[in-house]
Amino acid sequence: MSKLSKSLSTLIIILICVSFIYIVKAFLNSKKGHKAESISLGRVKGNPQAALRVTEYIDFQCPACAEGSRVLRENFKNYPNKIYLELKYFPLSSHKHGFISARYAECAGRQGKFWPFHDFLIDRQPQWSTLEDAKPAFQQMAKELNLDARKLDACVQDQNVEKIILVDKDKGTSLGIQRTPTYFINGNMVVGVKSLKEELTTHLSPQSN
Amino acid sequence: MPNNIFVVLRIIVATLFIITGAEKLISPYQNFLAVVQSYELLNKPLEEFVAKIFPWLEFFLGVFLLLGLWLKIALRLLLVLIASFIGTVGQAMIRHLPIHDCGCFGDLISFPLWVTLVLDCVLWIAVWTFLRRIQQTSQFSLDNYYYRG
Repeated sequence: MSKLSKSLSTLIIILICVSFIYIVKAFLNSKKGHKAESISLGRVKGNPQAALRVTEYIDFQCPACAEGSRVLRENFKNYPNKIYLELKYFPLSSHKHGFISARYAECAGRQGKFWPFHDFLIDRQPQWSTLEDAKPAFQQMAKELNLDARKLDACVQDQNVEKIILVDKDKGTSLGIQRTPTYFINGNMVVGVKSLKEELTTHLSPQSN
Repeated sequence: MPNNIFVVLRIIVATLFIITGAEKLISPYQNFLAVVQSYELLNKPLEEFVAKIFPWLEFFLGVFLLLGLWLKIALRLLLVLIASFIGTVGQAMIRHLPIHDCGCFGDLISFPLWVTLVLDCVLWIAVWTFLRRIQQTSQFSLDNYYYRG
């Protein structure tokens, strides 16, 4: 065999491999967006007409998610009418209290206190995330927000609440989410706090107007 | 069937690189970009460059290693690639960066940094040995097929 045919076969192998990757990627992309979505008006905030639309996939026990939430909160303060935020659950299996914290947040939302409870979860994360049993910490937050404890306990046990969280996670997985926090800013995927800050600066800085 | 250990190990190492490279290529690139950013080593353009190029490099070096095509070049490039992983993980450990998952294997497996460092060192030694024992490693390879032709 000549050297040329070795080069030619190398080229063919490269083309086959690249085609394979793009075909698999296209196949997976074609499956996106067909999953059911949970819709909860309690988990949105900001101006629905805002040009900047952020969907946040979060695990309440993830430290980077807490940092990301604080970044978003700061931007809401500075640009109250320029952002529309929707929160979706993405509890990681590596976080012991990830799922149960999402359950409590969803149930607080059913009593109209999703965002105050969310803020408690974020601000007090260093305390409750290290506990063996975090339920008393969540119940204390609920008490401080004057939530109905009986309703809250019943809600936390509700299978439908679990389904809502799993629907969000399923949707996130189908979108290719692997780590938290992941954001979709005007439809573009952004992973991690560093990229979030960069995107928000790009969209919200005075020069961008 | 290959009856020499170097060929078997070559196939195992190649498969590892193919799977990890393909996994990163198939999932959105932003996932790996976040991993690269977590090591706090590069500026933004370089982070994006690495996040886009490294998975292809891993994947193709794995394919070439598996097929035994341009084997010496592939092995040398793998040595450089793995050395860069060792350096990156090592500096993250020295700086106590808050990285709980190396991100090296995409979403497939999660390892703490020290395990990753050990694995990378083992891989580097394996690839270095392949290069030293190139005669045995290149059995059942396309390089041999073309050489004989």
